[in-house]
Amino acid sequence: MKAAPMFLTQETDAKVHELGQTEILVGIPSFNNVDTIGHVVRAVSAGLAKYFPNRRAVLVNSDGGSTDGTPEVVSKAVVDFGAMLVSDQQSPLQKIITPYHGIPGKGSAFRTIFEIARRLNAKACAVVDSDVRSMTPEWIELLLRPILDEGYEYVSPYYLRHKYDGTITNSLVYPLTRAMYGQRIRQPIGGDFGLSGRLAEHYLDKHVWESDVARFGIDIWMTTEAIASGARVCQSFLGAKIHNPKDPTADLAVMLVEVMGAVFALMEEHQGVWLSLTGSNPVKVFGFQYEVGVEPVHVNVEPMVSSFRQGLADLEPIWRQMLTPESMAGLLPLKDCPLQEFSIPDELWAQLVYDAAVACHRRVMPREHLLKALTPLYLGRTASFVLETQGLTSAEAEGRIESLCLAFETCKPYLAKCWTAPSV
Amino acid sequence: MTEFWDTALLGPLKTLGNMTLDLLPNVLAMAIILFAGWTIAWAIGQLIERVLRVVGADHLSNRLGISAAFARGGVKTDPSRLVGRAAYWVVLLFAVMAGLGALNLQPINQFAQSFLAYIPHLITAALIIGVGYLLSNFVSQAVLIAAVNAGLPPARMVAACSRWGVQLVAVAMAMEQLGIAQSIVVVGFGIAFGGVVLATALAFGLGARDLAREFLERQFGKGGARGKDDLTHM
Repeated sequence: MKAAPMFLTQETDAKVHELGQTEILVGIPSFNNVDTIGHVVRAVSAGLAKYFPNRRAVLVNSDGGSTDGTPEVVSKAVVDFGAMLVSDQQSPLQKIITPYHGIPGKGSAFRTIFEIARRLNAKACAVVDSDVRSMTPEWIELLLRPILDEGYEYVSPYYLRHKYDGTITNSLVYPLTRAMYGQRIRQPIGGDFGLSGRLAEHYLDKHVWESDVARFGIDIWMTTEAIASGARVCQSFLGAKIHNPKDPTADLAVMLVEVMGAVFALMEEHQGVWLSLTGSNPVKVFGFQYEVGVEPVHVNVEPMVSSFRQGLADLEPIWRQMLTPESMAGLLPLKDCPLQEFSIPDELWAQLVYDAAVACHRRVMPREHLLKALTPLYLGRTASFVLETQGLTSAEAEGRIESLCLAFETCKPYLAKCWTAPSV
Repeated sequence: MTEFWDTALLGPLKTLGNMTLDLLPNVLAMAIILFAGWTIAWAIGQLIERVLRVVGADHLSNRLGISAAFARGGVKTDPSRLVGRAAYWVVLLFAVMAGLGALNLQPINQFAQSFLAYIPHLITAALIIGVGYLLSNFVSQAVLIAAVNAGLPPARMVAACSRWGVQLVAVAMAMEQLGIAQSIVVVGFGIAFGGVVLATALAFGLGARDLAREFLERQFGKGGARGKDDLTHM
């Protein structure tokens, strides 16, 4: 028997030992989610009973020290299987409720979940956020079935989102990840996913669990690591994701530092993989996809444009350090143009992002300064996208995102050339 | 008459001759020390300059903005060469002090001792100024980016104030280390720094009331631009 790792408590270790092994493990990281976690646990229980009645399953709640009674809610949550038309559940769902140790954050919670999965020899794991209000039992099938029956090793979520929901994903993370690693995973930083036991072990053996990646960038790290390690990846359409609003005081610049810091760091780590790759391949999407109508969305672009213009005026010396003269020349005409003509074309945006990646690679200035200085540029691009897609449906706007991705792929030789050129 | 010549003229000349002969070895020693010192200073200067070039110190100083700062001050020389020249002059200075010490003259010895005792203060003050300069660049860049991201119109002014604030602290600390008008520096710094803070507060509170209100409203209140949007970044 393997020795209990330091980050599993004695009680958890004993419980794991008692359970022996499992086929399915569903993990729920949590911290003070008393309002929502009951729903998530019930959805998981119903999903397992409905879609995997004959498989041995364990639910693991990895909690970061909640003080609002979250673990108690998890232990007491029960499902009326009769109402769910489920009658042939073989055995009651086993639950492990454990605190996690290590640096605070989702990464340490995942590490505990994956370690339990390894010790229970789980074939398939799913991890779902504890604050999702729109989760249904079908999510469990969609995240686990491709692993158990179709031979996939990583299932990325595919949510139904309106065209201006997740603009960091749409304008930065998706195009960049797709162009780098050649796989069209639409939402690489979704919080719910499925993975094989083998991939969970692969993750555990990586030395990221004490780093900033574990604290801030665990979602993009898992997706990228799965692709870069050659795992078979797919997506599952989960419908809308409605969850507790993020902290409204959260600073956009800090978000960019966390997300883009992780993306750029992964580019450093996997340059051997992406430098020679060209183009991209579609990734299989499971689930019944649907669209909703044109929803009225209110976005005021003026403050975004004025933020961009202030950046152009005040941050010019900093931008000149991180961008090439050609990229800067592309931005200058936007200083005074009328609002309706304000546009950062796809090719220019791809070039700007690649310049920032190279500047980060070359460490031309402190990393945090560089990433925070991207904020006005990102707001400018977001304003440009909103102006361009105001009258379009979500599907049409998706077409524009596809064009952006193609621009990232077309400009990739430019990135490879700048990345590998000797520093001046 | 002969006795007169011996005591009045030849005696002092003999004494002078003897003194000169006594001093000659010391002068010779000083010359040797100066020559050896100059040779060593030249060699060390060259060595440091080349080593710095090999390890890419010029590139690093470009990235840290040191070269740009020197260029702004009219110094076009590479940092590697500057450091090499500085090392040359420091070693040469030591050689001169050692050479003068070889003359074994009381006033020169005293001066040399005082100077040597002062050197640690000089080095500490130079370090304080250097670190203060780098820190002021870092702080002002961070403040500028934060101010722009917060939508503060006078972002550059705020960043410049932070730069000068840090440099002011560094200069005050360096002067205190050098023992130059210590009490005046401390009091002057206190008055200047307090004055800057008060002036900034008054300027923002009175002179820029509308600006402050507009900024706070934009961030938290009615007509909030980012808060009212349906757009979500993550």
